[in-house]
Amino acid sequence: MAEDLVLDTAIRDWVLIPLSVVMVLIGVLRYFVSKLMRSSQLPDAKIVKEGQVIVRARNLRAGANFIPAKSFRARRAYFSNEENGLLFVPKGQAQNAQAQMFSDPNMAMDMMKKNLSMIIPQTLTFAWVNFFFSGFVAAKIPFPLTQRFRSMLQNGIDLSTVDVSYVSSRSWYFLNLFGLRGLFSLILGEENAMDDTQRMMQMGGFGFDPSKGMLYWYSLGQRDGGKIIQSLWLGEEHTVLVTNLIGMWVASSGSDCQMLALYQIFVVLCLVRSSIFVPIG
Amino acid sequence: MVSKTEEAQVNRLENQVDNGGGGAWEYLCLVRKLKLRRSDKVLKHGLSILNDPSKRSSLGHEEWTLYEQVAIAAMDCQCLDVAKGCINVLQKKFPGSKRVGRLEAMLLEAKGSWAEAGKAYSSLLEDNALDQVIHKRRAAMEKAQGNLSGAIECLNKYLEIFMADHDAWRELAEIYVSLQMYKQAAFCYEELILSQPTNPLCHLAYADLSPKRSPLRACEAAGCHCSCSNMEPDGNKKDSAP
Repeated sequence: MAEDLVLDTAIRDWVLIPLSVVMVLIGVLRYFVSKLMRSSQLPDAKIVKEGQVIVRARNLRAGANFIPAKSFRARRAYFSNEENGLLFVPKGQAQNAQAQMFSDPNMAMDMMKKNLSMIIPQTLTFAWVNFFFSGFVAAKIPFPLTQRFRSMLQNGIDLSTVDVSYVSSRSWYFLNLFGLRGLFSLILGEENAMDDTQRMMQMGGFGFDPSKGMLYWYSLGQRDGGKIIQSLWLGEEHTVLVTNLIGMWVASSGSDCQMLALYQIFVVLCLVRSSIFVPIG
Repeated sequence: MVSKTEEAQVNRLENQVDNGGGGAWEYLCLVRKLKLRRSDKVLKHGLSILNDPSKRSSLGHEEWTLYEQVAIAAMDCQCLDVAKGCINVLQKKFPGSKRVGRLEAMLLEAKGSWAEAGKAYSSLLEDNALDQVIHKRRAAMEKAQGNLSGAIECLNKYLEIFMADHDAWRELAEIYVSLQMYKQAAFCYEELILSQPTNPLCHLAYADLSPKRSPLRACEAAGCHCSCSNMEPDGNKKDSAP
């Protein structure tokens, strides 16, 4: 039922390819800039120790079957003892950890720099795409789509009879944004700053900051479920991820494309907020 | 722990390089990645690369990593002048670097000047109190001097901060066993088992320890041997009776 539109090959030459090339170049530029701007941060002894404690406690939980019961109980008491257990963090102190991170300028600056280096190029490129490459059909998606995607993918095209598979260049931009991650890990090596989409998915959450005292959550699990080996922490982790994914899906399938822009602003705000809270370890 | 495929690969490369085929650089990279201790081979093949200017320039910026690796191997084989040469080259390239400072302190340790090496390590630790390698070198120095209780103290302090480091736990366990402090050694082996439950050697070592502590624990030993033999399908099936 779809009439086939014939798209000018000039679109391919002058829109799709230059856009991809520009995004790759911007990614490479960001990588080198982040390498230059990276300040060598001396790790804090307390944070390192807390990270190691958590690894050890996790090992204890995982391998509890392999050691004698008495040793397991001794270790569990060592970690969750009320007076001087390593994982025991009373409620008051957990709040203090957050306030401390607020006031720690170095960490906050570092996180802010990293997040800004991601947000600014994205915003600029998005604006550039919108300004120059809007108002025409850029590409055809090879599989059929429902009408709900029309507002998201066809925002510059004001004809409502065009098949939803014909998309504007804005969707090409988003496709590149998420798809070039693999390419970057090939050409830039494993450790690159391009996993911002991953970070976005993890931290662009809806109010939950996973760093609210890893020790706090751990100690809750140990205290409340003393006899039951239940991974409260793991449960929380999965909840966070699922909440974020649902949030992204909800925002991106909104009926108004402004919803997408709103979501981006929301992500920015959340990142700014959660960049203050550096996860421990 | 090195897996079987990796070990086979290393042996194959070693044979290849020893018999004159190429691949010395891959061999050295693999040894470095797996942290094996084959200092004589590393020294021989590393020097053959470094002394050949064309091969050296083909390495690019990895040349300096090779210098570091060869320096450590030379110290292990007690070829101290070779080590000194490598360290001098590195010092010219990276003056004031902490990594080179660490190598120099290791050279002092290899020469046997314990006091100076100790001072060098302490000054390095002042700059970066969380350098794991330096902490471990201090414990190794104590052990080399025969001061086992000092080594135990160093390792305990190290493990208070870095308690997820299973190599350190294993070292501590071996020291305790050599001093016949079996209760503490059992604790260390338990930590090892917790961090690497799929490694049968930890279970075996723990099981061997149990009868020494008390006859009652020999039952635990049988249990450990069983769980260990479950893991290795083609390994030794020790089912010792209590």
